[in-house]
Amino acid sequence: MISLNRVSKIYPVSKEVVVPAVRDVSLHVERGEFVVITGRSGSGKTTLLNLVAGLTRPTSGQVLLDNIEVWKLPDKEQSLLRNQKIGFVFQFASLLPTLTAVENVMLPKMFGGEQNQERVYERATQLLEQVGLADKFKSFPRQLSGGQQQRVVIARALMNEPELLLADEPTSDLDEATEHEIMELFRGIHTETGVTALLVTHSIDLASYGTRSIQMAEGEIVSP
Amino acid sequence: MQMIRLAIRNATGNSFRGWVVFFCAALMAGFVISSTLVIRGANTSLQLALERLGADIIVIPEGHEQRLESALLMGIPVHCWMPDTIKDQVAAVPGVVATSPQLYLSTLRGATCCSVPEMFLIAYEPETDFTLTPWLEKNLDGGLEVGEAVGGSLVYVPRDEGVLLVYGYALDLAGSLDPTGTGLDQSMFFTFDTAFEIARASVTEAVKVMDIPPRTISSVMVKVSTDANVEQVAAEIDAAIPGVTPLETNKLFKGQREQLLSLLNSVVALLGIIWLLAMALIAVVFSLVVNERRRHIGVMRALGARRTTVLKSLILEAVLLALAGGVTGIAVAILAIYLFRTLIVGLMGTPFLIPAPLGLAALGLGALALALAGVVVAALIPAVRISLQDPAISMRE
Ligand SMILES: Nc1ncnc2c1ncn2[C@@H]1O[C@H](COP(=O)(O)OP(=O)(O)OP(=O)(O)O)[C@@H](O)[C@H]1O
Ligand SMILES: [Mg+2]
Repeated sequence: MISLNRVSKIYPVSKEVVVPAVRDVSLHVERGEFVVITGRSGSGKTTLLNLVAGLTRPTSGQVLLDNIEVWKLPDKEQSLLRNQKIGFVFQFASLLPTLTAVENVMLPKMFGGEQNQERVYERATQLLEQVGLADKFKSFPRQLSGGQQQRVVIARALMNEPELLLADEPTSDLDEATEHEIMELFRGIHTETGVTALLVTHSIDLASYGTRSIQMAEGEIVSP
Repeated sequence: MQMIRLAIRNATGNSFRGWVVFFCAALMAGFVISSTLVIRGANTSLQLALERLGADIIVIPEGHEQRLESALLMGIPVHCWMPDTIKDQVAAVPGVVATSPQLYLSTLRGATCCSVPEMFLIAYEPETDFTLTPWLEKNLDGGLEVGEAVGGSLVYVPRDEGVLLVYGYALDLAGSLDPTGTGLDQSMFFTFDTAFEIARASVTEAVKVMDIPPRTISSVMVKVSTDANVEQVAAEIDAAIPGVTPLETNKLFKGQREQLLSLLNSVVALLGIIWLLAMALIAVVFSLVVNERRRHIGVMRALGARRTTVLKSLILEAVLLALAGGVTGIAVAILAIYLFRTLIVGLMGTPFLIPAPLGLAALGLGALALALAGVVVAALIPAVRISLQDPAISMRE
């Protein structure tokens, strides 16, 4: 499913100074795996996910998604591929503040050009029910707690039935109990749908939720 | 979920920035429409007044040039008299093909024997007239009878009196001329015979007698042969007949026209400055908006929005604000011009004609389109910049 071959991402900060965010990383993920990535702040986890999704250009090396180099596709096909195949859960508050919960969940269908509003609405409400927010359809993000917001984001990520789920510290701002609830949700989704998942977390305790765990440090994969 | 809904939510989401763009668009469109209306309207007015006169040269007693212009433009009555023999002298000048005398009269101020105070009245000689007669033949099937008059577009019979009284004489309003925006709209035309009837009646019916000195006229309208030079004919009239001034009609309102031209220049300069400032402000506001929403734009891209989709949604937002602001600005400007018309005319010293509803709508649409284009251009740079940015970069703090 995912194949990274000696991928590096180097950010130029000034003329002399460069930051190697990801260094010579090779990683292969099979369809249906649930990989948990851990590592300290600044170790390159977010950059790695961005590379996988084709949201940023690798400085060197090759990123393949189902044998396609996403970054090299024209914008139209790149967007379509992300829209249809990848679900994102971001590290930061990523709900559009001017849209309600259900409208946020409907967004990926809008970008995919879906016309049947009724069907889209129906699926969005189903997903919100599934993540336990049956009574929050019409709430705006600011009216939801951090955990509730993250559940909406997860529902949105599942809207187009993705083959790949990329989650970047989905529990970073949550208390421990909520953290485990959200992780249970991910585990449930994984077993139910068989989606391939890459989940980044700063806490090694959560590594056990996945089927495999890898650790990053200073832009490199250090274990296993 | 549709794009338009997202744009509407975003446009109304941050009220302060939305209002700034709205206000700028209103200012841009409002200024364009109001200056166009006033300057174009003034120009049309002058043009129509000249056409209404229908003569190449107007010969009047010396020293009354200014007052004749005020009479034609503002409807302030002018009184001037010269011997009626002038008419024959003018007719004898080479190049003159037609002449027709006119009498300039006015109603009384503050007297019950006149329905309308200080109205400029023009009496024409039906046998020789070539200015009003073509219109009368076309619109009223022939000339005016004694006791009949045609009025400018603003002349009407007072409802409570039922008749139009001039020196106690009841005139029959037989028709109305098209508006010109000038003083001619508040003037009345009738024949010499009617004028003499009024004068006769005024002796018994009015508080003051309408005085038409015998064997005098106020002006001579002159038509010049097509192969003659108007300027040259005017010069010859000036040389041949002492005590009169030949006014070439196409040189009338020269002061007003020059003033209009300089007004146009300063308005264009002002418009340029206002538009530049407004567009700069819109560009800044949009940069702020785009910067603030950087992360969410990155999110949209990650969820599968194309570069063009991001660009379209931002431009759509600008268009919505510009439409709302533009329509408001245009409506306010038109309303203000209607309400303060007399004030503006007083300030400019030139009347102006407000176009008919259809023309007004066309001008409004034009101004709206201009404002839309201005806003879109201003919003384009920040919108293009963010849509070209790497989503991963957009999403960073
Ligand atoms: N656009 C950029 N320009 C410059 N440096 C960058 C850029 N993006 C990332 N970096 C640097 O690359 C390194 C890795 O960043 P990254 O965001 O991938 O880390 P992370 O593991 O996700 O950290 P965190 O746990 O704090 O989210 C950091 O040192 C960061 O400062
Ligand atoms: Mg990160």
